[in-house]
Amino acid sequence: MSGRVYKGLLVLVAGGLLVAAGHVQEALNRQRADPQLGLTRVAPLENAPPVLAFTTVALGGFRGLIANALWLRASDLQEQGKYFEMVQLADWITKLQPHFVQVWIVQAWNMAYNISVKFSDPADRWRWVQKGIELLRDQALRYNPNEALLYRELAWFFQHKMGYNLDDAHLFYKRAWAVEMTEVLGPYRTNLAALVAGQTEEARRIANQLRQRYKLDPAVMLEVDQAYGPLEWRLPEAHALYWAWLGLQRSTSKDKRFLRRVVYQSMKQCVEHGRIITLGTNAVPVEFGPDVDKIEKANLAFEQMIAEEKETVDSFKRAHRNFLGTAVYLLWINNRPSQAEAWFRYLKQQYPGEVPAEMTVDEFAIQTYVGDVSEMRQDRARAIIEGLLGRYCLDLALGEEDAAVGHHLLARRIWESYQAARQRQKGRLGLAPFETIRDNVIQRYLDPQTGLRPELAARLRAALNLAPAQPR
Amino acid sequence: MRMCLQQLWAIGFLTWKAAFRFRLFWALLILLLVSVVALPLLLKDDGTARGFTQILLTYNLSVIATLLGLATLWLACGTLARDIEDCSLQVVAVKPVPRWVIWLGKWLGLMALNAALLGLSGSSVYGLLHWRARRLPPEQQTVLRNEVLVARAALKPPRPNLEALVEQRFRERLEKTPVPPSEQAELRRQIEALCKAGIELAPSGYVKRWEIQLGPRRFFLRDEPLFLRVKFHAAQTNLTGTYKGLWQVGLPDQTRVWQQIKSLAADTYHEFAVAPNLFDADGRLVISFVNLEDVPLLFPIEDALEVLYREGGFGLNFARGLGIIWCWMGLLAAMGLAAASFLSFPVAAFCSGSLLVVVLSSGTMARVVEEGTVRGVDHETGVAVGSLVDKVMVPVFRVLLKVINLAQQFSPVDALSTGRSITWGELGRAFGQVVVLLGGLCALFGITIFSRRELAGVQATP
Repeated sequence: MSGRVYKGLLVLVAGGLLVAAGHVQEALNRQRADPQLGLTRVAPLENAPPVLAFTTVALGGFRGLIANALWLRASDLQEQGKYFEMVQLADWITKLQPHFVQVWIVQAWNMAYNISVKFSDPADRWRWVQKGIELLRDQALRYNPNEALLYRELAWFFQHKMGYNLDDAHLFYKRAWAVEMTEVLGPYRTNLAALVAGQTEEARRIANQLRQRYKLDPAVMLEVDQAYGPLEWRLPEAHALYWAWLGLQRSTSKDKRFLRRVVYQSMKQCVEHGRIITLGTNAVPVEFGPDVDKIEKANLAFEQMIAEEKETVDSFKRAHRNFLGTAVYLLWINNRPSQAEAWFRYLKQQYPGEVPAEMTVDEFAIQTYVGDVSEMRQDRARAIIEGLLGRYCLDLALGEEDAAVGHHLLARRIWESYQAARQRQKGRLGLAPFETIRDNVIQRYLDPQTGLRPELAARLRAALNLAPAQPR
Repeated sequence: MRMCLQQLWAIGFLTWKAAFRFRLFWALLILLLVSVVALPLLLKDDGTARGFTQILLTYNLSVIATLLGLATLWLACGTLARDIEDCSLQVVAVKPVPRWVIWLGKWLGLMALNAALLGLSGSSVYGLLHWRARRLPPEQQTVLRNEVLVARAALKPPRPNLEALVEQRFRERLEKTPVPPSEQAELRRQIEALCKAGIELAPSGYVKRWEIQLGPRRFFLRDEPLFLRVKFHAAQTNLTGTYKGLWQVGLPDQTRVWQQIKSLAADTYHEFAVAPNLFDADGRLVISFVNLEDVPLLFPIEDALEVLYREGGFGLNFARGLGIIWCWMGLLAAMGLAAASFLSFPVAAFCSGSLLVVVLSSGTMARVVEEGTVRGVDHETGVAVGSLVDKVMVPVFRVLLKVINLAQQFSPVDALSTGRSITWGELGRAFGQVVVLLGGLCALFGITIFSRRELAGVQATP
């Protein structure tokens, strides 16, 4: 047999073997997918870049070993307080185990929660929170688009890490996110329908940026906005709602319960501080106010989630009851007495026995804020009243007139209740006249040395009809 | 002597020539330079210039050390074993050249090759770092100059004499109330825990103070910023995970005072700059911490506080770091040559590679020595499950660890990436321990066997 024929035969044999191996591979893959055998998953990795596709196929069973070594290195470095390799290590670890949901969650959590708090500078912290969000949003969901836990985790980062106030730097996060979103969406309410329609160049540019950079689909944003809004998309709660909503639509697992919880908790936070009063500056913190107009939608969200939840409905109801109490207080403090009264009646009707039948909405608001006034010490009562009057001054300076009226009213009611409870000991335990306390607080806030900044002090003077300050 | 040097030079030159003839030098150089250039494009950093520089330094130097290390081991095995196998060494051996000169000449040739490759790739890393640093905004350049591209030394407060304190308290206690000998060990342990807590503890609202003597350094630390590196543990975690405290450096009425309230996380290192010139005329630097939290904080005796100061520039520090890597290469070359002195090329490469794996597994050995058993500790009882194997293996591992630590105790990559100073003394020690002692042992072993080996006897008949 000549060499050429021999080589041709070898090529044919090699081709035949490849075809045969392909068939065997299919059968093997089917067997691996059989849940009864309990073998490794074979779901093909979708949207994977070439490096990842190559890694997952070429390393085969050794992937686990390498991932273990990387985990060990990551935890060693973390123990030594060296974080500069963490993003790289997390990238490698997740790429070695792209279908293992817990790996993504642990790595993202580690960056957003554990590593971020190791830094004292808020800008450093924010960078790590962003890294955690990016890992889930840009990578994990790309390879695991139907995993409820990933949506839950991402939504939780927005709702809890950024939206809640447990992190010392939460105001920095909120401001940084609001500034970033303002750059994309503009300072005013976004016309999401226009973004979806994409009829102008500007709308197409914004929609494209949302899709490419933030993985936000304007059509889904519109759906969420219609269901729970109008939402302030510059605040993290709106994004928590977006990812929870998407998770509820796409995932089929039992873990939807966590997503439902994120929905109502985010709506509660929207009511509590879902309105930007001022974005502030690097020196002055961002200022938020409650958005009591969302109480109706938030209540609907609670009721919807309670209706959908089958297992832990009691905890959902407890959260609903607390929300209604907060709503009544917020309406009362924001000078909406009739609405506060209506929601108070609703609270009593929904959860009879939780509130004494004879309690008025005024008493409920005071109790919500300070507890039992009759048991209060003199110093504490004075401090609370002064604090509320301080808030009243600040609200006036910021143009939040309804809130100012509410805080003033609450201060007066507490003063009245305290004085009434100390009728017999007024001389020893009584407070100064309400007007005296109020004027003292106003003077403190107008003091050029220790009070408000000049522009805010000028606005307070104007709101109180006081003469402008004399130049020194 | 002159003759010997000439012979060494000739053998070394032949090794170089072989490296060039087989294009090995160029292949390695291209590989190293490509990795130096390509790594920055592949790496994911934490988003800061400091983080990027640190990861670049770490990964680039690690890749260089790994590539060069493996190539050195391979070459060292090949250059001797192959020469023996293809009989070309017989041509040299019949000349009036002692065997030890052949062996040492090859080692020197390899080391010269390593020096050239390390120098070129190291210069590329250095150039790349500076090129990137120059393109950064001025404030980030300052951070880099102060914290990474610098050689900083550290001063620690004197370690309290815990043992003496425990001994004193123990004796006082025994004098007051006699304790049976069987309970004395437990009593001592309890007293030690109490004394340690007393030193480490900063209760709520209390002040903890450290004093550091700068000595003659006070003269060149004038107007130089200092950095505090601190770490503490919290007795109880709080919701935010951070703990407020007032940090004060300096002595009121005697020196300038710097103070700042900081909210820092527990269980990790924090580094912050303090103003210059806060020490007194005698070079006494006093650092105080007031715990503003409700929970007690613990400052570990070993690593609670360090004062970092600029000792020198990055360039020379970097060169010294490369010097230590070069010392490691020297050991690997000696190991490879020693193995090739009596083994064929594949076996020598396999053996020296395995030895390298053992060296890299020192963490496992350290755990075995610490736990006192190979089989691990019963996690429920906390007691080691002893066996006959332990009686042999634990002492063996202990000795092995001591030997390995002679080479492994130096960490130039880590020091360079965190801006820590590598002193000339450290480089000298690395040379002494790694090259002279460990490399010398390998050389002694290799040369002895190689000198007695019958070179013509091993070749197979064609």
